[in-house]
Amino acid sequence: MSTTIKSSKKLKSATRQESRVGMFFVNSWLIFFAVISIIPMAWLLLASSKTDPELSSRNPLAFGSFKGYINAWNNLTFFDNGVIGRWVINSVLYNAAIVVIATITASLAGFVISASRIRFKKTFLISTLIMMLLPPVALVIPLFVLMDKVSLIDNPLSVILISSLYPFGAFLSYIYYSTTIPPELYESARLDGCSDWQLYTRIAFPLSGALLGLLAFFAFIGNWANYFMPYVMLYSGENYTLPLGLGFLFSSTPAINPGVGATSVPIYKPEIALAGALIAFPIMVMFLISQKRLIRGMLAGSIKE
Amino acid sequence: MSKPRGYKQRNLLMMTMLAPYIFLLIVFGILPLFMAVLEVPKISIANPDGGWDAFKIVLQDFRFPTALKNVLGFMAYFVPMMIIIVIAMALMLDVKTNKWSKYLRLAYIVPASISGAVAVLVWWAIFEPTISPIKSVLHFFGINSARQIWQTENLVYLIAIMTFFSMAGNWILIQYGSLQSISTEIIEAARVDGCSAFQLAFRIKLPLIRKYIIYMAVLVFAGGLQIFVEPQLLNTGVYTGIASSWSFDQLSYELAFKSGDFGGASALSIILLVPSLIGALVVIFKTDMFDDKTIRDKKSSDKADL
Repeated sequence: MSTTIKSSKKLKSATRQESRVGMFFVNSWLIFFAVISIIPMAWLLLASSKTDPELSSRNPLAFGSFKGYINAWNNLTFFDNGVIGRWVINSVLYNAAIVVIATITASLAGFVISASRIRFKKTFLISTLIMMLLPPVALVIPLFVLMDKVSLIDNPLSVILISSLYPFGAFLSYIYYSTTIPPELYESARLDGCSDWQLYTRIAFPLSGALLGLLAFFAFIGNWANYFMPYVMLYSGENYTLPLGLGFLFSSTPAINPGVGATSVPIYKPEIALAGALIAFPIMVMFLISQKRLIRGMLAGSIKE
Repeated sequence: MSKPRGYKQRNLLMMTMLAPYIFLLIVFGILPLFMAVLEVPKISIANPDGGWDAFKIVLQDFRFPTALKNVLGFMAYFVPMMIIIVIAMALMLDVKTNKWSKYLRLAYIVPASISGAVAVLVWWAIFEPTISPIKSVLHFFGINSARQIWQTENLVYLIAIMTFFSMAGNWILIQYGSLQSISTEIIEAARVDGCSAFQLAFRIKLPLIRKYIIYMAVLVFAGGLQIFVEPQLLNTGVYTGIASSWSFDQLSYELAFKSGDFGGASALSIILLVPSLIGALVVIFKTDMFDDKTIRDKKSSDKADL
């Protein structure tokens, strides 16, 4: 081994010059891409610290003042009797419900598929995989027809229930349980008289900490900024989520839409930017603190680390 | 293996635990598919005789060719852009892992939090010369009014850029993760044999992460086909009329909620579903991405590592 390394040293030094130039370009590009990745978010978070005139007169990435955020929020509450507050609460409540229901149903499903020998196991697994690989908006129109039949249109339950179907989560849990818990463990626990429910509560659940975190993370980032499906299901302003509300602000205030005439409410660019930041900031925080989860979750099942 | 006693009751308990998920899967996953199929042949103003002509009627809708042209045009930029730039970025990150690359990866994930309605807002601002964070760049290219940029014929590029930025970060990290899974012995061996960084990337690394690239391509393609939020909000909220029934999903939305033609809208949903379904089946059955054997193999290598 050591001789091969020695003999290859010559070759290496020959390519070193070329690779140093190459590395310079690689690094410059990587840094450039990082800068352009951050600028839009920086602008969004800083925009509402400034006043509307300051947005165009000052440096776009300058910080205004903390009072700017408070002003922008106060102005937002003038819109439709403070409906923005409802949107924030709705977004939090709907998403909390979705994250809880999706996480529980998916983790139980993954456990059952990995630990039991029930019939149609393969069928469940394949249909889960197919659902997981189809874009979630593909079924929006038929889902509307369905929700209309059961009179759940404009009812938050429609959004919560539809979003709680979490095939990716079920698959992730299946992988997790089948890679962390050897089947022999279930067998011996069964011989000791454990019921299936106890297999879950005594063996699987105590080992599920990392999994539940992962499931909640993906459920949250997948739904927090969701637009199309809630847009179709909900039509009254007081049932809106923040993303729907933001879209509504676009079309009903002149802040960024020159087509809308002047209104009496003080909604301008900083206010709109604050509404946008309320949507983007929580997801950004989740992404930054859960970067490893993202990679592990998306590649689960096929990666050897 | 002989079945243990109480096997039936056990299965019942197991089925009970599985039931909530299966309920959601059947009601919100499988049932809508059947409902869409049943909705198509219903008699409507658009389809007065009823029947499967609804498919033909949708394909002959005067807005369909425009939507087709727009979405295909958008995807012609978006899909290759995603695959090439994401893979290139992941390979570059993989060349040298130093203390800075951790922070770079954090930076790349930031735009992923700007999607949908927020993306429309942010890109509106970026291309608005009076407030843009890249004012000087816009001025350099002689752009003094946002209307020079926001034109219907530019939307294929603009929407490709918007969706690229909200999706690239995730996939850069994921493909970087897939590159990290290549065993160091293989890389070392190739280096010892005198492989340059380029050869290493193209001859060794890329073939080894092939299935992850296919996986990404399928998801990116299926997602692109269903583009809705960006053109819809641009059209209704920012530049009125710029993107009216611009994409398939907008057309299907309009058929359903403006013309009350749910049969036509469902027919269009089904047509769009077919390529995505084929993609999904390819990933499931033609790669070993989700193969039971791959999953079992990894048991030994990464116990409770998730």
